[in-house]
Amino acid sequence: MSTTPRLRNMRRPRLEGSGRVRRDPRAERLYCGEPAGETLSARGLPRRDPRAWYAAGPQANGRVRIDRSQRPGSASVAASAPLRAAEPALKTVVIAEPAFWVLAVPDLDDGRLSAHDRDVFGGARLLAADGGAVVAVCFGPAEGLDLAGADRVLQFDAAVFAGYAPEARAAAVAAVIATLDPRHVLLPDTPIGGGDLGRRLAAQLGETAAVRVQKLSAGEAIARGNGGRSDYHMAPPRLLLLAPEAADPLGGVRHEALALPVPELDTPTRLLDRGLLAIDPNSVPLAEADFICSAGNGVHDWSAFHAVAAALGATEGGSRMVCDAGLLPRHRQVGASGTLVDPRCYLAFGIAGAPQHLQGITRCERVIAVNTDLHAEMVKRADLAIVQDAQRVMPALTRLIEEKRHGA
Amino acid sequence: MNALIPGLLVLASLLALAALAVARAARWRAGRAAAVDAVAGLLAMPGRYLHDVHDAVLRDPVGRAKAGDTGRAAARMHMLTAGGFIAATALILAVHLFALGGVVLAWLLLAFLALMSAGLLRLYARRKPEVSPRLSRGGFDRLPYAFTAFIVFFAIATLPAAGLIAPFSWASLGGLALLALGAWACIELYVGMGYGPLKHALNGVLHLAFHPRPARFGATTPDSALQPLPATAERLGVEQPRDFAWNRLLAFDACVQCGRCEAACPAFAAGLPLNPKKLIQDLVAASGTHGSDLGYSGSPYPQRPVGSAHGAIDKPIIGSGAMIHPDTLWACTTCRACVYECPMMIEHVDAVVDLRRFQTLELGATPNKAPAVLEELKATDTVCGRPTSARLDWAADLRLPLLAEVEHTEALLWIGEGGFDMRNQRTLRALVKLLREAGIEPAVLGAEELDCGDVARRLGDEKTFEALARRNIATLNGYAGRFARIVTADPHVLQVLGREYPALGGYYSVVHHSTLLAELIEAGRLKPAADDSGRRVTFHDPCYLGRYNGEVSAPRRVLKGIGIKVVEMNRSGMRSSCCGWGGGSTFTDVPGKRRIPDVRMDHVRETGAELVAVACPNCAVMLEGVVQPRADVADLAELLLAAVEAGK
Amino acid sequence: MALDIAVLVSVGRHPASARNRRAVLDARALELALNVPGANIHLIHAGDADEPALREYLGMGVERLSVLGVPAHADVLPVLVAHLKALRPALVLCGAAAEQGAGSGELPYRLAAALGMPIVPAVAGFELHGGRAQLAQALPRGRRRGVEAALPVLLSVDRAAPEPRQSAYARAQRGQIERIAVPAAPLWQPPGEEQPARKRPKRLKLISGSGAERMRAAQGAAASAGKGQLLVQPEPAAAAQAIYDYLLSEGILRG
Ligand SMILES: Cc1cc2nc3c(=O)[nH]c(=O)nc-3n(C[C@H](O)[C@H](O)[C@H](O)COP(=O)(O)OP(=O)(O)OC[C@H]3O[C@@H](n4cnc5c(N)ncnc54)[C@H](O)[C@@H]3O)c2cc1C
Ligand code: SF4
Ligand code: SF4
Repeated sequence: MSTTPRLRNMRRPRLEGSGRVRRDPRAERLYCGEPAGETLSARGLPRRDPRAWYAAGPQANGRVRIDRSQRPGSASVAASAPLRAAEPALKTVVIAEPAFWVLAVPDLDDGRLSAHDRDVFGGARLLAADGGAVVAVCFGPAEGLDLAGADRVLQFDAAVFAGYAPEARAAAVAAVIATLDPRHVLLPDTPIGGGDLGRRLAAQLGETAAVRVQKLSAGEAIARGNGGRSDYHMAPPRLLLLAPEAADPLGGVRHEALALPVPELDTPTRLLDRGLLAIDPNSVPLAEADFICSAGNGVHDWSAFHAVAAALGATEGGSRMVCDAGLLPRHRQVGASGTLVDPRCYLAFGIAGAPQHLQGITRCERVIAVNTDLHAEMVKRADLAIVQDAQRVMPALTRLIEEKRHGA
Repeated sequence: MNALIPGLLVLASLLALAALAVARAARWRAGRAAAVDAVAGLLAMPGRYLHDVHDAVLRDPVGRAKAGDTGRAAARMHMLTAGGFIAATALILAVHLFALGGVVLAWLLLAFLALMSAGLLRLYARRKPEVSPRLSRGGFDRLPYAFTAFIVFFAIATLPAAGLIAPFSWASLGGLALLALGAWACIELYVGMGYGPLKHALNGVLHLAFHPRPARFGATTPDSALQPLPATAERLGVEQPRDFAWNRLLAFDACVQCGRCEAACPAFAAGLPLNPKKLIQDLVAASGTHGSDLGYSGSPYPQRPVGSAHGAIDKPIIGSGAMIHPDTLWACTTCRACVYECPMMIEHVDAVVDLRRFQTLELGATPNKAPAVLEELKATDTVCGRPTSARLDWAADLRLPLLAEVEHTEALLWIGEGGFDMRNQRTLRALVKLLREAGIEPAVLGAEELDCGDVARRLGDEKTFEALARRNIATLNGYAGRFARIVTADPHVLQVLGREYPALGGYYSVVHHSTLLAELIEAGRLKPAADDSGRRVTFHDPCYLGRYNGEVSAPRRVLKGIGIKVVEMNRSGMRSSCCGWGGGSTFTDVPGKRRIPDVRMDHVRETGAELVAVACPNCAVMLEGVVQPRADVADLAELLLAAVEAGK
Repeated sequence: MALDIAVLVSVGRHPASARNRRAVLDARALELALNVPGANIHLIHAGDADEPALREYLGMGVERLSVLGVPAHADVLPVLVAHLKALRPALVLCGAAAEQGAGSGELPYRLAAALGMPIVPAVAGFELHGGRAQLAQALPRGRRRGVEAALPVLLSVDRAAPEPRQSAYARAQRGQIERIAVPAAPLWQPPGEEQPARKRPKRLKLISGSGAERMRAAQGAAASAGKGQLLVQPEPAAAAQAIYDYLLSEGILRG
């Protein structure tokens, strides 16, 4: 790096006895690694009380609807209205004079805290338990840092940090580390987010990070390596790159999230972000697709199928029947002799669910099936199954999405 | 001089033929050396012709497109035309060149020409008014006319010698016209034997004598084991025509373009870009200096035009711009239907596998999912990439003893890849129960059982096959004396363990479960109740059981034992049609107009059967993959178990 | 002048059989290099030259593999840095993380830092023009980002890069392995006490309140047959609403 970046206006935490930390009884519990809503069951194992995580909403369509908008980890906790209403009920933890610092550097992909980011803050809180304060180091604005557990916020807004700027960001975090000398720095271990940034920092600082941390507690980090075959148990080192769910996110409490002044930095940039390359969901290779809308022999109205896939922003896939028939190109075939896919969601219209097809979606977590046959294997495999003619459901779904989009 | 002219014509033609044959032989000699017992071959040749060739010709071609296009008609046509022609040739030389025999031989000559005419009528019937699509056109279409010209010319030329008319001079207008006709006929028929349609006659005879698989003749079971790679070749497998052994080049040259292979080929029927007849013809064309398929007049590879392929004896055969497109090579299921039908005893599958060996071992050009499968085989010893220790996960409750734990077993059960597949676990479970019912406690190898190597070998990966085979053989030889025989429900295992391991030093008695179950029923050790459901049942013969191993009776005996009367498909037994799995085709997955199993299910439908019995895990998967409505699919073991349980 | 590309490869390990093989990501890195016309590829491994799995890289069509002879479990960073400093390639390609040893994915970064090169991870493809590399970086959900960097640059490759070509037996056997003697390397220390990886249950997704359902959710998708919600013959609009709600609640669609 060309210059040594300096942080101004930032006080080192006081480690002497005089700087006493004000404690909050609720926060105490948290410091013990016991998130709100968790109690000890009879067998002494922590057991999560579901009632603390969601509230039963009003009855809709004669079914109990569960309002999960407050569920930690759902994408829009901070922004959603019901939570705002609940805010006054939350206690604020104040750590005025921290004994030490712990940095958490969230990815803020799309400018939002992801569930993974929130886990990182949860981990940071664990490591800050005995009097430390968590500093969120953010590139760009973020909401909900208080609920995630940040005591302080350092927000870098300069243009050099925008987009893919790992070198500038690494320099910034390194500068913060040089100034605050934090006990720990935590990042989500994502390939081109925290995982990239964290490894850059490790290389720059000449330290070894704990990577792909599977489980984090105040005294131990369990890192994963050796091609996923080994766990490495260690005392948490300074740099920690956390796998999803390595620590529980915070719940039922808020922290101050006080803004700290941001230093000016001279940052290197040898990499130029040329922006997202144009993406048509249908140019996405099936193996990488995030959301697949798939058609089988039960689909006859192909324009309705293409329309619904487009409205959903989903990648098109198909059973071998339709690919054989030339209705979809062959590289769109899902299954044993096509592509093995692992999207977050697989929506199947008119697919029977032959074993060779199901083999293609074994790693898929959420499956929705629309099929006229109640006994179809795909219906059995599905998390949400709808026994109805695909030709009728597809346009209805397209219409609904369009309405919501224009209504919103 | 005048009288000598017809004889000289034949003599000159025969000399020209000899010259052409020498040139042709030079083409074959460009091939690799081959160990051939020439004397034994020549001595055995007439027997091979009369027995094996005759049998093949006599079978009716598959899917006859034309009434009267029967094997018998073809055999008669050949007997009369070819027999008459050979005798006539000898007599022409005697009568016209050496003026021997006087009136008697002249009359005899006329008689043989008359015999030829009888054959010629059949030849006309075969080609007029329309021709079966499996037959080639071009020079073949001229043959009836050439024979007509031959008969007319030599009949007239022989009339004076027979004392029927006065000697005449050729120097007249009519005489010259007749002479021209005769000359043309001689060129077509004699000289043509060196390059034209009739070359099958000469080359066929040589091929029979120098055949690369002499063991196939007169054998009771098919000589179907693939041959190992030649140890000392600069290239592994075949890249250029000259990489084939010389007698293979000769073999291709014997093809008569009868299209019997084409009619039988499941890939061709499903519209995959493969036609075994054109494959052989392309190999013939590529064996010259400037080969192309422009002269080819038969059916093309489905979905592919004719006329743009080019090759030479020292040029790569396979390639998108070469003689044969890779898709054609990889569309073959190695089902051997072509080999079984071919009256010229050509070994298509050997050629296909030799070509694949080069593609896989030298180029790394195995298409689609096949390279991934080969990689899994190398890394895990299973096709599906799972550990061998998981092969018996489904059978935990059956408590199958490991061979390592028992002193001796009557039946070492070879599980195969079917152990990883839910569908086939049902079959295996039924088989275990049946064996126990009959008082046989089978043992298994457990994690020691590696893939047998069938898929690797058929995909041309001879090295992976060898590695798997050698390790399996080491394991099995380590248990020598501890098992009486190996039992398998997978005909591919039967083939590889039983017929292909011996070349690598593994000699075992391997039985297919159908054979064993038939034995057990007949010995009264299994007592199935008669099926009284009255449902129509047909049986699909697996290629690797029937055509590869010659076993077509045991499955039927099992079904008979359950009281099921099999409604046979048009193509059954040794002439069954492939389900589309073999040869690694499910992994190379070359697109066609249809799927091969869909075509096979059509055959099932024609019988009106509600159930198709199978005897191979791969057939079960392929046929069950056909979209409903279709017949149910059940393995023999499943059917028999149900019947045995009903009998209790 | 031909472009020098160094491709760093390691020995992979099959997850099911634990048998050595070419490493999935390293093979992809080599595939990318092989697709650069006229490139001068230096295939480099630090480790045991007699490891048969290394030949699988040669089977992809490279004539020579240079092996820096260090013992197993050595820290390969110093020898790689020294070798690459002398070689001065325009491009260094490697997989994102090794399949054996720590495989922490830190090596490419340390290497880049030591060589003073910029590093770009998750490269799915690239083009080279006038001394600069135009890179396509793979983002989640099949998205791609354009990144530009001046040469020399180090690229690490992940699963989004094109599948590696088949390794051909004959080429693998004919390829040459060049043994390069290097100074003794320090031993690599595992970052902590090593234990076999333990499968950790997924955090309970609060699909609904019933204990049994949460149990099933925890067991993951593989065991999920029959757990779902079923609507029989709903009105199309109700069906659409149900799908929409589900997608929204699972965060697949954003409201
Ligand atoms: C070796 C092998 C490999 C194979 N590999 C694959 C593979 O990779 N991928 C693959 O997909 N298949 C594969 N198959 C084929 C597979 O076995 C099935 O044949 C195929 O998946 C069936 O496709 P399908 O479900 O679209 O068609 P069908 O089986 O015809 O099912 C159509 C479904 O649509 C429903 N339906 C009908 N009308 C409507 C309507 N109006 N509205 C809603 N639903 C309706 C029906 O109830 C039925 O369930 C393979 C087969 C084999 C043998
Ligand atoms: S290969 Fe045999 S069956 Fe096929 S056309 Fe030639 S001679 Fe006939
Ligand atoms: S073996 Fe079978 S698939 Fe192959 S060419 Fe012969 S008939 Fe066709």
